[in-house]
Amino acid sequence: MKTTITSITKKQTLAQEYDLLGCMQCGKCTAACPVAMRSHLNIRKLMQEALTHESLNPIPMKELWDCTCCSTCTIYCPRELKPNELIINLRGILVEEGHVPTTIRDALESVFKQGNPWGGAKNKRAEWATDLHLKDATRDKEIEVVYFVGCTPSYDPRVQEVARALVKSFNKAGVNFGILGNEERCCGNEVRRMGEEGLFEILIEDNTNVFQKLDVKTMVTTSPHCYNTFKNEYPETHFEIQHYTQYVANLIATGKLTFCGEVDKVVTYHDPCFLGKQNKVFDAPRSIIDSIPGVKFIEFDRSRERSLCCEGGGGRMWVDASDSGERLAEVRVRDAVEMGVQIILTACPFCLLNLEDATKTIGYEDKIQVMDIMELVSQVI
Amino acid sequence: MREILVLAEHRKGVLRDITWEMLSLGKELAEKMEAQLTTVLPGYEVKSLADELSTQADLVLLVEDERLQNFSSMAYQQVLSTLITTRKPIITLIGHTACGIDLAPGLAAALGMPLATDCLSLTLTEKELTAVRQIYGGKVNAEVACSCEKGCIATIRAGVVSPWGEETRKGKVEVIQSPSLEGISRQRFIEYVEAAIGGVDITQADIIVAIGRGIQDKENIPLAEELAKALGGTLACSRPIVDKKWLPKAHQVGTSGKTVRPKAYIALGISGAFQHIVGMKDSGVIIAVNKDPRAPIFEVADYGIVCDLFDFMPVLKEKAKELLQRR
Amino acid sequence: MDIIVCVKKVPDTREAELIITKDGKDIEKGELVCDINEWDRYAVEEAIRLKEELGGSVTAVAVTPDEDEDLLRKCLAMGADRAIMVKDESFRGSDAHVIATALHHIIKDLPFDLVFTGVQAEDDGYAQVGGILAGFLKVPHATLVTQIEVLERKVQVHRELEEALMEVVELDMPAVCTIQTGINEPRYVSIMGIRKAAKKEMKTLNTSDLGLTEEELGDSASKVKIKGLSLPPSGKGAEILKGSTGEIATKVASILKSKGVLA
Repeated sequence: MKTTITSITKKQTLAQEYDLLGCMQCGKCTAACPVAMRSHLNIRKLMQEALTHESLNPIPMKELWDCTCCSTCTIYCPRELKPNELIINLRGILVEEGHVPTTIRDALESVFKQGNPWGGAKNKRAEWATDLHLKDATRDKEIEVVYFVGCTPSYDPRVQEVARALVKSFNKAGVNFGILGNEERCCGNEVRRMGEEGLFEILIEDNTNVFQKLDVKTMVTTSPHCYNTFKNEYPETHFEIQHYTQYVANLIATGKLTFCGEVDKVVTYHDPCFLGKQNKVFDAPRSIIDSIPGVKFIEFDRSRERSLCCEGGGGRMWVDASDSGERLAEVRVRDAVEMGVQIILTACPFCLLNLEDATKTIGYEDKIQVMDIMELVSQVI
Repeated sequence: MREILVLAEHRKGVLRDITWEMLSLGKELAEKMEAQLTTVLPGYEVKSLADELSTQADLVLLVEDERLQNFSSMAYQQVLSTLITTRKPIITLIGHTACGIDLAPGLAAALGMPLATDCLSLTLTEKELTAVRQIYGGKVNAEVACSCEKGCIATIRAGVVSPWGEETRKGKVEVIQSPSLEGISRQRFIEYVEAAIGGVDITQADIIVAIGRGIQDKENIPLAEELAKALGGTLACSRPIVDKKWLPKAHQVGTSGKTVRPKAYIALGISGAFQHIVGMKDSGVIIAVNKDPRAPIFEVADYGIVCDLFDFMPVLKEKAKELLQRR
Repeated sequence: MDIIVCVKKVPDTREAELIITKDGKDIEKGELVCDINEWDRYAVEEAIRLKEELGGSVTAVAVTPDEDEDLLRKCLAMGADRAIMVKDESFRGSDAHVIATALHHIIKDLPFDLVFTGVQAEDDGYAQVGGILAGFLKVPHATLVTQIEVLERKVQVHRELEEALMEVVELDMPAVCTIQTGINEPRYVSIMGIRKAAKKEMKTLNTSDLGLTEEELGDSASKVKIKGLSLPPSGKGAEILKGSTGEIATKVASILKSKGVLA
């Protein structure tokens, strides 16, 4: 099979590229991997196979698509290797050979054609905001902040509520902001993690071209995924990139955003992997929650660096895990209910969707609510 | 005598509905053009079908040949091109069906005649045929025209024209010798096979909850399943869902799936490709839920709901549970 | 096994709001994203699978008024060996007869065992080109093909009929098949794959290279012409239920009751 040939050439670089000789097979990566408990994916074994096997053929390895790219393996590696990047590389081989699950295929094609993975029409991207009359950041030179909405908040009716809530807060705080409208494109964070490096490069180029036209000080994203790739994987921008939790925390701290009501609820906060683990933004979301009058906040046992992944990253919004077993989002919801929590707050569209879905699949819809932090904030401003 | 020619379509010894629909359309055209309505029946040992046809046509041309027992586009093409060349009908009507799609293009090319396929309605004048058809998946109506001075062919979409229920003519049956049928052995009918079908029989359901592309994800199917269960109905789907292998073929409604006539049909996130509509339009009541107010499904639905189906499904499910509990 | 696949690029209109052009004969395509016709994609995939199994070659051909190099690059990236594009402005508004004539001129001089087209195109939906082309090439054909098995100098195909029924038909090769969606799962074409395919052979021809005459081309040659397009009124047939989701659900429940279900 011609795949093997590609794999061999890939493999020769794999050992060097990922410094696989440095791996001492301690297994911390697998022990930390959140999906290891419900998948055949064994990252330690994969590291060894990539190093020692003559030809590593990823085609039969369905479990490669189970990885959520939460990066826990990489964070826990005592040798500072990047097991997670190895998986992305192997996916890259699958993508190049065309061996991808059909749902991943459809998502990637949609990104290429429509600029979003959800199949929405390119020219309907800003439709959610029609009645909000937002400024066009590509034309309006007076604005200070560009709000990068993201694909899921643009097209998914549930997550549009989060974007609306954030807009409401910006307006209350008098932020001079605009959006990119139909010129906004997928950030490519998931695209890269699905192994489609070529498409990711195109997205960087397209987005960078739009960014260069902007005359703003700050870009604020809804999603930690957009935030992550803009901050860590794009060429440096002339404006600062912030996740909305950082920006809003500052609005509250400087007294620009004030509250006029109380929330008499017990809440917890679920750290999104791409915000917490990967970018160390732990305190900003907590400081917003703390400032909401009336809220009683309790921490998950597994929080901050140890937070449990919701399984929404790394393309997993478009493909099911190869093995069944309880979804991690369900574990998360059960834990929260046991803690006596009434609302699970989070700050990521994927976490929101997965956790809310879990409340439904385990029949806890009446017991617990899942909200984005901004949704709760917008209720009391 | 001027003539309107209709190809009678039959399979496994039964005339197909499209035949009656075309005869109904042909009758209208024949009256307007003061022409004779003739139907051609190629087959083998199909005399009884010819008698049936004679109740709605002025003339039935029966072409019997063992090699015409099952449909073959090559054999049919020879039969029809011989007849059309000698009889010179104003127009020849063929169903836009698996038969017509296989036959009409080659036939038109061989005769050098214009062909309008998948027509919803036809208007005929001395010089011109005008047809209404749908393009862009039913989102746009197109009026197309071609000359009919040297004859023309149109294929008619199934289920668009209502057939005449009663006897309208007392036509003659004329037996025609089949042409030589040379070279047809390069294309051989082997057998019919049923598409692999699972346990469900959606044709027996009183109420059907059908899902389409709008369901978005395999994971969302249980939501619709629960709704169907709460309503005491059966889950069905449009073709894309089967293509994606999210549900087995047995659940598929439409031309390539099952034709259903439940008392109530609830279409969730189905845009309404005609291949789907043909399979469900005769349902007692059709309720369509779709985000797009222009979705073609609203054309055939009795009631439309323009909203996100994920908002609607759980609410209707609760309502149904409530009602059934009260009973 | 040498297979020729005929492909076409069409605008993706599924999610889009369509606007009719001023002359009433087309839709505004400026804002629409174009891609390979859905049926053709399955046809290309089927050809490549057969080639991978049996050896031979796959040639993708397109007859178009537009610069559709990207369409053919995609076919090459999927695994086609070479591509031929005949580009001529006069193909704008051509009917199936003209397109099949042009395809015939390309294909008649090429060696082939099978020619594939999609059953129909997403835009005009005529479902004619494959059948006409088979007639021009004087070879047997089968439309609505959902399964292909290659035997000794013949193919056995499944044709999709109505009512979940299939028909098994044998064709002597060479033959033409029009491919139905769902016959396979078309593979993903990566950007890297498209870049790599840039090295593959792509021929661009014009109509005079093919020896096509004025009379065989374009609007004047088309026997079937578009008179005008119109958008069907939204929800013409349906009574649109309004109100809160709860109110609508109550209405739906009472409609169902009145029809003798849920009662």
